[in-house]
Amino acid sequence: MRYFIRRFLFFLLTLWAAVTLNFLIPRMQPGDPAQAIVSKLTGQNAAVDPAQLAAVRSMLGTPNGNFFQQYLDYLGNLLTLNFGLSYSYYPYSVLHMVGQALLWTVLLVGVTQIIGFVVGTLLGTYAAWKRNSFVDTILSVGLSFVGTLPFFWIALLLLFIFSFVLGWLPAAGGYGETAVPGFTWQYIGDILYHSILPAVAILITAPIGWVLGMRNNMIQTLREDYTRLAQAKGLKPWKVAVFYSARNAILPNVTGFAISLGGILGGVVLVETVFDYPGMGRLLFEAVGNKDYPLMQALFLFTTVGVLIANLIADVLYGFLDPRVRKGAQA
Amino acid sequence: MPHRRMGFFLIPLVALSLLLAACGDIGNEKIPGSENYPATNANGEVMIDHLDFGAFGGGSNPQVNYNPFSPNVLSSAYIFEPLMVMDNYSCQLHPWLATASNWQDPQTLQFTIRDGVKWNDGQPFSADDVVYTFNLTKKVPAFDSTGVWQALDSVSNQGNIVTFKFKEPSSQMLSKVAAQLIVPKHVWETVDDPVKFTNDKAVGTGPYMPTSFNGRLLVLGINQNYWQVDKLRVNQLVFHRTEGGSSVDQLNLAQGKYDTNAMFIPNIQSVFVDKDPDHNFYWFPPGGAISLGFNLTKAPFNDVEFRKAMSYAIDRDAIANKAEYGYVKTASQTGLVLPGQKDWLDPSIQNQGMIGYDPKQAAAILEKAGYKKNGSGQLTGKDGQPIEINFEVQNGYTDWIQAAQIIQQNLRALGITVNVTTPAAENVESDRANGRFDLVYDVHGGSCNMYDNYFLPLSSKQSAEIGKPAASNFIRWQDPNTDKLIDQLRSATSEEDQKPIVYQLQKIMMDQLPTVPLWYGGVWFQYTTNRATGWPNADNPYAKPTDNLLIITSLKPSPDYKPPQ
Repeated sequence: MRYFIRRFLFFLLTLWAAVTLNFLIPRMQPGDPAQAIVSKLTGQNAAVDPAQLAAVRSMLGTPNGNFFQQYLDYLGNLLTLNFGLSYSYYPYSVLHMVGQALLWTVLLVGVTQIIGFVVGTLLGTYAAWKRNSFVDTILSVGLSFVGTLPFFWIALLLLFIFSFVLGWLPAAGGYGETAVPGFTWQYIGDILYHSILPAVAILITAPIGWVLGMRNNMIQTLREDYTRLAQAKGLKPWKVAVFYSARNAILPNVTGFAISLGGILGGVVLVETVFDYPGMGRLLFEAVGNKDYPLMQALFLFTTVGVLIANLIADVLYGFLDPRVRKGAQA
Repeated sequence: MPHRRMGFFLIPLVALSLLLAACGDIGNEKIPGSENYPATNANGEVMIDHLDFGAFGGGSNPQVNYNPFSPNVLSSAYIFEPLMVMDNYSCQLHPWLATASNWQDPQTLQFTIRDGVKWNDGQPFSADDVVYTFNLTKKVPAFDSTGVWQALDSVSNQGNIVTFKFKEPSSQMLSKVAAQLIVPKHVWETVDDPVKFTNDKAVGTGPYMPTSFNGRLLVLGINQNYWQVDKLRVNQLVFHRTEGGSSVDQLNLAQGKYDTNAMFIPNIQSVFVDKDPDHNFYWFPPGGAISLGFNLTKAPFNDVEFRKAMSYAIDRDAIANKAEYGYVKTASQTGLVLPGQKDWLDPSIQNQGMIGYDPKQAAAILEKAGYKKNGSGQLTGKDGQPIEINFEVQNGYTDWIQAAQIIQQNLRALGITVNVTTPAAENVESDRANGRFDLVYDVHGGSCNMYDNYFLPLSSKQSAEIGKPAASNFIRWQDPNTDKLIDQLRSATSEEDQKPIVYQLQKIMMDQLPTVPLWYGGVWFQYTTNRATGWPNADNPYAKPTDNLLIITSLKPSPDYKPPQ
């Protein structure tokens, strides 16, 4: 029990540090959101009108109170999930914008990450069990090679072949231009149709880390005495593989997976940018470019808190999966 | 194994694409809503079903927003109209919601409001709406994006005459008042917080109004109540959510998906025009002048002879051809945008104020002014130290950076060291505002407001001490004569009275060179004549490409136009 309490207290401390940093960092950055908005409207080749700058400043308003007061307000707003209004989507609220983008990312990235993890771990287990076989060689060498290809290159190649050359799949967007949003089969089908290319792009690379990690861990555990004992007892080979070697080898993968799930909230900037997908990653990318501090702050916060919570869950899971961790904490 | 997985994905992929081919993107087929519009107008003339205008504003996750005062508005140019429309190419005001304007005296401006105009919800438009709109921008400072109320005292109307009373002579305010988009009183007076109003119904007087929007496609449909509906020959305008100017967007343009666009494309001839030379055209009229902005509080930049030498030292043609793909023209030292503003040019100025590349002349001026070269060939200042110039250029402005490298080479030939650095744009803007620079690019003029063209970059009122942010006179030009002329300009209400003053300001630019204009920034504009003709171009420059209302009321169906099937 003490292990879990300690993990939880540590979680609270990190959470406070992350929340505070999230308050400080945007305030230390150079640049002026009003200037960013007006410069974008004016363009590079025309002079900015100071009157327009003043009008936009007046729209965005200035923070009230001194630095400490702002910090307290910020903490209070966090508890009520009040992130204020976005600058680049003013007058829409940050929560509204995040709410719109979140579902897209959770569906696309969440589903593909889980599939990637399951497929990757199973393949890794299989490759380790049949180590030095033909399948293992193909998997470990082939995937190492694919893993070194830059992700955007794979994504662009897919776009080029399936969208521009063959014309089978749409090049951009989460749904078609003529789609009528609503809970209809046609709209859902349209969304699935538009998610194929980004999903395939993620699925080509997502399992690679899990395959290689799992294989290497499992080759270690296969040499352990308990595996040999299990084999000596005459257990069925697949039981030895799954319940003795794989169970012990999976631990680092679980931590990694939990952290990557937390990171989903931040979206996958690259995928969403290449495929013009309306998720969190693209929203974040754009918020940074536009100096949309309220939106940026909320997105960073969601990502950090997501990773922290995922970490906590991983720690807890670890406690269950590996009794040594609990014992170690009690000793 | 990878092969098997590939096959696994290919099967549903092919099946789905066959199933859902109907749900694709807009090409030359009908768009949703086409069936609501007849193929001919009341006079029996052919109407174009739709024109594709490329990207709309509103970011990556666009939200409904038709508040014309908001910088995040999706579309306002075709929905709302101003009192008068400026042809920003030759600087002519066209009567629009107002039929005439008239200065009673330099502090009193009157507009005659047009009769018979209706809002797109059928309600009549009147002078009350005009007065209401201006009072709204007074009540909500965030809406006063041209600073009209810095000079305005009151607005009132008698019948269809609206009178603007100014606090002091304010002839410069004509174009700003005329450009204000007018909103309906009967809609806006019921809004509690106009700043946060998204105006979903988009009631305006303009030629088009939003008919559908799903986050990826925005369609504006013709306003049948429009007061000059007989000039409209297009039923619908289509806008997409795209990354404007991205490689995908360039590809779309090259494939003829857009009827018009405004993007920068390298090698436009081969990428766009050659794809369909009979229909694809471009016109890049000049915008504001990109100028050398020296920090005039520092030596040697505070010496007019040094600046004069600089104006001869730069190879502007090399910049226009190498850094800017030959898309732009070199700029006149007068501060005017030529040839559009040629009516304002002082005829006594030689060669329209164009200064050629003459390094020998530059070296001679420097030598005569007492700048000598030291033993290692470096040009030294009057303090005997080698002259070194730090030139800050916004990161990512690749054409400006290339131009800076040409400037660096040109000045090296004179023995001057230029260190080009490329900090982030916000750092350059901050250093520029606070006067912490030697040399930056300054964008000079480019609007049709002659007062602003000289007031913003050169008035001492727009300057500040070093270390304090200047509003727009970043170079810190301080000259009582300039200030006096700019003040006089405010009292001159007719072009005849304004011209002699603008001539004198041009003379200051020519003789004292507070900034050194290099080239006119390009206004990017591409169009195709597959569906519509009548676009502005170099042969018929009736408007700048950004003057949307002037263009949309001039377009006609192309002889090659085929209605979509």
